[in-house]
Parts: sequence; C-alpha cells; structure tokens
Amino acid sequence: MQQQKIATYEPDNSLKKGYRSIFGEILNEVKANRWLTYQLFRRDFFSMYKQSLIGFVWIVILPIVNVATFILLSRSGIFNLGHISVPYPIYAISGMAFWQIFSSGIIACGSSLANAGDMILRINFSKKSLVFASIGKPIVSFLIQFVLVGILFIVYGMVPQQTIFLVPIVIIPIIFLTLGLGFIVSLLNAIVRDAGSLLSIGMTILMYLTPVLYARPEMGLLGQITKYNPMYYFITTGRDLVLKGTITAPKGFLISSLISFLILIVALIIFHLTETRISERI
Amino acid sequence: MNNNVVIKAENVSKKYCKSLKESMVYGMTDIGKNVLGLSSHSEILRKDEFWAVDNVSWEIKRGESFGLIGPNGSGKTTLLKMLNGIFWPDKGKITVQGRVGALIAVGAGFHSLLSGRENIYINAAIRGMNRKEIDKKFDSIVAFADIGDFLDSPVKSYSSGMYVRLGFSVAVHCEPDILLVDEVLSVGDKDFQIKCYQKMSEIRKSGTTIILVTHNEHTIREYTSRCLYLERGKEKFLGPSEDAVSMYIKDVLEYKSAKTPLNAITKSREQGKAELISLKFFDSKGQEISFLESGQELTIQLECLIHEKLCNPIFGVNFYDNTGFNYSINSDYENQKFNGDLIGRIKVKIHIKEFHVPTKNYLCSTVIAEETPDNLMDWHNMTYKFVVGRARNARGALKLPTRWEVEKAK
Repeated sequence: MQQQKIATYEPDNSLKKGYRSIFGEILNEVKANRWLTYQLFRRDFFSMYKQSLIGFVWIVILPIVNVATFILLSRSGIFNLGHISVPYPIYAISGMAFWQIFSSGIIACGSSLANAGDMILRINFSKKSLVFASIGKPIVSFLIQFVLVGILFIVYGMVPQQTIFLVPIVIIPIIFLTLGLGFIVSLLNAIVRDAGSLLSIGMTILMYLTPVLYARPEMGLLGQITKYNPMYYFITTGRDLVLKGTITAPKGFLISSLISFLILIVALIIFHLTETRISERI
Repeated sequence: MNNNVVIKAENVSKKYCKSLKESMVYGMTDIGKNVLGLSSHSEILRKDEFWAVDNVSWEIKRGESFGLIGPNGSGKTTLLKMLNGIFWPDKGKITVQGRVGALIAVGAGFHSLLSGRENIYINAAIRGMNRKEIDKKFDSIVAFADIGDFLDSPVKSYSSGMYVRLGFSVAVHCEPDILLVDEVLSVGDKDFQIKCYQKMSEIRKSGTTIILVTHNEHTIREYTSRCLYLERGKEKFLGPSEDAVSMYIKDVLEYKSAKTPLNAITKSREQGKAELISLKFFDSKGQEISFLESGQELTIQLECLIHEKLCNPIFGVNFYDNTGFNYSINSDYENQKFNGDLIGRIKVKIHIKEFHVPTKNYLCSTVIAEETPDNLMDWHNMTYKFVVGRARNARGALKLPTRWEVEKAK
C-alpha cells in the first residue's frame, strides 16, 4: 500500500509544532502549489479583459492619463514638477510602471482572500497561492508599460542606458515588499473589510507622497518623508538604471531591499499561522 | 493511527459567533495571539459564541461509506468542513489519512467569463490535481460532464444543469481517497442524478471512503452502512444507518406533532351535521402506532361524531408524501355502503392486511362526506403523521407481496 499523507487538525496546530518547522512547511507548500498559483494567475489575467472591447490597451491608458494630468497641472502653473533632466513623459511613465507594481499589486493581493470568499469556504487549497497569483497581473502590466516607455524613447530619438538590463534587480524587492504587505492586508481584509477601503485611500495618498510623477523635493516635509519611503528608492533606482546609468542612492536602495525581504518573511509566517482562521471569519 | 482507520475524530468541537461585529473582533484578537506565539484558548466560549459541533468522536475505516444526518443547523456541514481541513476544530483533534476530495457545492471557483476548458484546468488545480493528471483525465471529465459543443464557451452561457455537471465531473475525477458529499446530488436532472449515483458506487467499489451528508433518508439507507446522527452539534446516535434513520424520522415527527396538536381541525365544512374527532393507527396486535414497516398489517381507525342522519355517508383517508403524491382510501371507491341510521359517536375501522406503501413520511388527511366525495361534512387536512419504514434486511422503497417457487428445470 502506498504511503498516504496524514493530516492532523487541532487548535493552535502550528504553534505546537514550533517556529522552526514553519519555514519548511511554507517552502513545501509554495513549491507544491506552483502550478495552482500559475492557474490562479491565468484565471485572474485572462478573465480581466474578457468582457472588454479594447482589453489590454487599458494597461497603458491609465499611466498616460495620469501623466497627461500632471503635464496639464504643470503647464498651467498649479503644480511644480521640479527639476527633471529627461523628457517628462519618459520620466513619468517609467516611474508609473514601477509604482503600479506596488500599488495595484498590494490592492490585488489585499483583496485576494476576500474576493475568493466562497471558494475558501468550500475547497481546501493553498490560500498563499491566491496571494502569490495576485502579483502576476501587475508584473505583466509592468512589462506592457515598459514597452510604452520603449516607444517613447524612439519618439524622442533617445537611447536608454545599458543598465536597463539590471531593472529586474529593482523589480524583485518591489515584489517582496508588495507581497509582504499584501499578505498582511489580505488577512485583515478577509476579517474586516475596512482594511480594503483604507488601502485604496492610502494608495492614492502614497502615490502623491512618492516622487513618481515629480522630482524629489530637496527640502520641506515632503523631502523628509521621502527619505524614509522605500518606494522612493526603488522607483528612483529603477529609473536611474533606465535613464542615467548610475544609481543616485545605492545605500537607501540596499536598506529598503533588505527591509522588504524581512517584511515578506515575517508576513509569510503570520499568514501561515493564521490562514486557517480566515475561512471561518470571511 | 491504525492503518485501516482513515478518519479519526477525537472529542471535536467547533464554535461559531452569532454576531458579525464580535466575530471580527475575535478574529483579530486570535490572529494577534497566534502571531505572538500565544494560544488563542479556543476552548473557552466568549460572549455570543456557541458550540456548533460539540464533543463529537468517531472513526471511519477505509472503504466505508458513512452518513451524517440531522436537522438543519445540527452541525453536519461544519463537521464535513473540518474533515476537509477548511475549518480547524476549536477543541479536540482530527486525523485524516489520504487525499480528501469534496463534493461540496460543486462549481465553486468557476469563473463565469472563462470557457469550460479553462475552468476545468483551474478548478482541477484548486482541487489538488497537477498538470499531468488533468491532461490525462481531461477527455474523461468532458465526457462525463456531457457539455458537448459548449466546451469552449464561457461558463456564463451554461445552463445550471451543465454548470453542475461540469463541477461534479471535475470533482469526482480528482480520485480522492476520501470523498465528502454534501447534498450536491439533489441538483441536476434525473438522468444526471442516476449517473452520479452510479459514479459514486463505482468510486466506492474502488475502495474510496465516502462520507455523505443529506436530509434524504433514502440516500442514507442506500449508500451508507453506518451513520452519525447529530442534533444541535452533539452526537445523538452512532451506528447502523437503518437505526439512525428510523430514530431521526421518529424525532422529526415527534417534533412536528408537538407543534401541531393531533386533533387540530384545519378546515371543516357544513359544521353541524357531522364532525371528525380523530384518526388513529393500530398494528396487528392492536397497539396504537405512528410507524409501520411496509407490507405489515394496519388498521386505521377514524372516530367521528354524527349529529344528524347522513344520506349515504362517505369516509376517506389520504396519505400524502412530501412530493404531494397521495395514496387514497375511500369508502365510495370501495363501494362501501353504511347503515343510514349512523348517529352519535362512532368509530370506523379500515383493515389493511398488507400495507404496501413506499417507505416514507406521510401526512394523513381524513374526510367525512355525504352522497358524493366532494360534499364534505368535515375535513382534517394533512393533520396526522405516519411513517412507513422497512425491515432492516429489506432493500428498496417498498416491500412487494410475493409468492416464491423453485422448481427443477427440465
């Protein structure tokens, strides 16, 4: 007789096993569910634009509209974009591409459990896969928006820096940070829906607080806040790799990456310890 | 764990919270405690919490088919979800050996805009199949679901029957070691239901353990050998399905009769001339009963009070099942003429040598009429409960009157 898996369910299960075995459990679960994660991503991705006429074009429309608004605000003198040495559309759209991995990623991850409600109540499957799969769409959006940046380079007759090939180094910590926060928000949102609403507001505020569409102000409150904003370092570094070839704030980038990695680890542990509580509260 | 025992539940309890607000607060506190490495002390009831499943223990052996019955809200589905690992017990321990598949609300997780083909892959993946398995079983899944040309159309355009068929098909093709079934078979048309039961028998023969939750006592009788009868989260009975079902039906009827007094007159006509008093049932020994095995002797006694002389009185008794189907006994059809000077309090007895009626719960009506069956003097509509059961060694819904003969063929 082939060896069958034995599962034991009892209260505070993971606590009894101890923290050390948790890492192994998490890794095994993630590994065993890679295909499921991919399928869930496919479901999200292909269903998104099914009942839509222009479909994936929407992915580039949003940043273009945002950028156009800022150009308008700047031209009419309402808003000062600061000192930017490259054509503004390239600066802004490349910034937006990095930013939206974080912003739409965290919203997608954060609502993944709450949206799957019924499924979680009826089928026992890896809920981590739901959160992991949610980051897929923003990554694909990033790639599509990066094509738009490429087109802009051609339009302006410019050539990007060779360091553009190092961009994945920036994407990885952004994904870590997004997933880490996404895991926590998804738990909170599954229990208290206010978490999701707060998040949408928070993301809008955060976008204006992060120098995505304008240059970093050297002084004032905004300048101070920016100093402690990991997304500032990620976006700036990403943009540097494309536009400048040198990294403006390498130390800030490294520290932010490390923090992001730690956030992801802690979030995964919290999620693992509490995910079974979610189905009864969702 | 003994190698033959695939599910072992030891003193399992699960609590729920009645208030949504409290539930949110408790959820947050529990998560907080767990994160800090503290126990959430789930064994203690807080305000507005109650035990939905209370201290239930049992074992299920490999290949056994096991039933769960009980009224709504008795904790059947919660128990099933705990076996599936969707909920974890708040007290006690559940040990499950092997892959668990669930037929709980099939089609959960389907995306309405995606095609049947896409949904098969996604749903099968959610249910724990890997790519190789799905590729191998894809054709079989499609064939069983019988969705024809709709395979590449969005699931949105499916009829509800097709939707359920596809969901069921994916779920049963996961080849679980333990299959949990929750009322799903009541959907779909008759053809498909038959197909489902055949598939379930097939799965059972291959050694899969089946756990079935249903309100339908026939299903429990036919498909399970042992049964757990739950009442308000507690074990009321654990043992042979036949006994569990009999007990359950009896309880349901007693509960119903407690709510409606037996001699409640729901409607009566032409009051004054005659009135019905009661309808009683007796077995061959003259004992008053409310339960009889199909095919046994039955005496029905109708008591009434006749105030005025009736011209050609007619008595009738009807047995209604839950579908509205009715077995009718009527003195008019039977050409029974009664003495015209019936007056005062009288008892009418109807003797039935072999009461061959399907095993079911019945609600009985009784009437007294004059001259034609429609000219009602008094009528007790679906007022009396009566259960027809079957002998433990019997099969099927009905015991037929038979005579057997064996002879040597030439």
